Amino acid sequence: MTSGRVLHAALHLLDHQLRDRDGRLCGKVDDLELTRSADTGTVYVTAILSGPGRLLYRLGRRRLGGWLQQTAVAAEVPSDPGEGRIPMDQIASFGPIVQLTVPADQLASDAGEHWARDHVIAHIPGGRHHAAE
Amino acid sequence: MKRILGVFLGVLTAIGGFVDMGDLVANAATGARFGMNLAWVVVVGVIGIVVYAEMSGRVAAICQRPVFDLVRERLGPRFGIANLVASFAINMLTLTAEVAGVAIALSLVSSINYLLLVPFVAVLVWLVVWRMPFAIMERVFGILGLCLLVFAVTVWKIGPDWGDLWGQATSPHVPSQETPFTYAYFAIALFGAAMTPYEVFFFSSGAVEDGWTTRDLNENRANVLIGFPLGGLLSLAIMACAHLVLAPRDIGVDELSQVALPVASVVGKLGLAVALIGIFAATFGAALETSLSAGYIVAHYLGWPWGKHVEPRGAARFHVVVMLAIGAAMLIAITGVDPVKVTEYSIVLSAAALPLTYFPILVIANDPTYMGEDHVNSRFVNAIATVYLVILAVVAIWTIPLMIITKAGS
Repeated sequence: MTSGRVLHAALHLLDHQLRDRDGRLCGKVDDLELTRSADTGTVYVTAILSGPGRLLYRLGRRRLGGWLQQTAVAAEVPSDPGEGRIPMDQIASFGPIVQLTVPADQLASDAGEHWARDHVIAHIPGGRHHAAE
Repeated sequence: MKRILGVFLGVLTAIGGFVDMGDLVANAATGARFGMNLAWVVVVGVIGIVVYAEMSGRVAAICQRPVFDLVRERLGPRFGIANLVASFAINMLTLTAEVAGVAIALSLVSSINYLLLVPFVAVLVWLVVWRMPFAIMERVFGILGLCLLVFAVTVWKIGPDWGDLWGQATSPHVPSQETPFTYAYFAIALFGAAMTPYEVFFFSSGAVEDGWTTRDLNENRANVLIGFPLGGLLSLAIMACAHLVLAPRDIGVDELSQVALPVASVVGKLGLAVALIGIFAATFGAALETSLSAGYIVAHYLGWPWGKHVEPRGAARFHVVVMLAIGAAMLIAITGVDPVKVTEYSIVLSAAALPLTYFPILVIANDPTYMGEDHVNSRFVNAIATVYLVILAVVAIWTIPLMIITKAGS
């Protein structure tokens, strides 16, 4: 791991918009994974957590959050084994928008989008047109 | 020409906000009961929505992010979810009333029972959301909504004693047959109608849909300065019509069909036809505004792809939410609930929730990390906005007690 950048995690990261490699919106920073370094005792942000149930977890609704997370896994939607974990090396830049280096397809936070597209929208005629002129 | 067409986002937003289903009836009822003694509230409301809509449009143009997107980021997920739940519920009530309102407007010309038209209207609203490009949508319904100007023509044709109207408006008093409580209740209803939160959700999202950037700040200003005063003018014209034509004949207003009566009796059949087109467009526009807003605010809170500027496949969850909202509104409307009552409640409840929406806008519009040093609020705007925040807070506290004391204005 590279040496960390100093950020005010709650202010510069939490609840910010995520954008994937191709500019698609793909969820918000629902929570953060913190790891304490064994040598120095400093706490590092090691991953962004975003996906089904993650926000509920943070808000203290653990059972509901866990249920949502499991439902999403059971439906085999996320191709992401980390269940909504986005490690720091997949982040290109911070700012009002957090820019990722991976496509949305690989993220758990985008799984619901896939489900809605394949199970609902794809069955309605005219879903492919580009609405804006 | 592009310049002129460019202001229709503001026009549609304002018409959908000021003269939608409930407000048409509320304005006429106010005119019939209070004359022009509550006209000042409309003016106060117009100034408030102009100030806050300009801010929300400016934020959207500069960081391409509409209001609700920033609410969670700046004020945290708990505050955000409370705001989301409240706004969504109010939005659903309004959408229900609009779907019923469009059906009633159509039933006035077709003499088919309006309940049978409700599913048809719901499908029509959804089709426009699904297929019609945003820019075309705002122009079609904005322009058709201008038909409501026939109410202003009606007032002019009556040739009223302008001095008397002006006198009522400038030195308002509580009419002898009313109590201060009903006066205050109607004042809050008018104020709530002017500043309904879905206007800023829709307006700022629309700014992103229309692809506004920092270069479009003048367009933003033109939109709010033309759109919202126009909405206020229409609402005053409807009020004056009811005061001049209905009040002397002791006709109270509690149905949509009575709103257009003054136009029919003064301008005639053609006038009535124009008024009905206007009413159709205004209620339909408000239905679009609220159904899209339902999708907008949920998608913004959760960070989903959204909007009509991407194809439906690219904003799948957004479209699912809009569809479900329209479906639910249809099911509620079809039970035969009185749409006028539904909007009355939704306006008054939204008055109670107003500070939740407007406070974050003020915070973000003052934050240089989002706006850059050049585009944060001026002191002048901040001064007015702060005064309005105080008004909003007072209104929010008084709304529910007044609703109980006056039995919702009856």
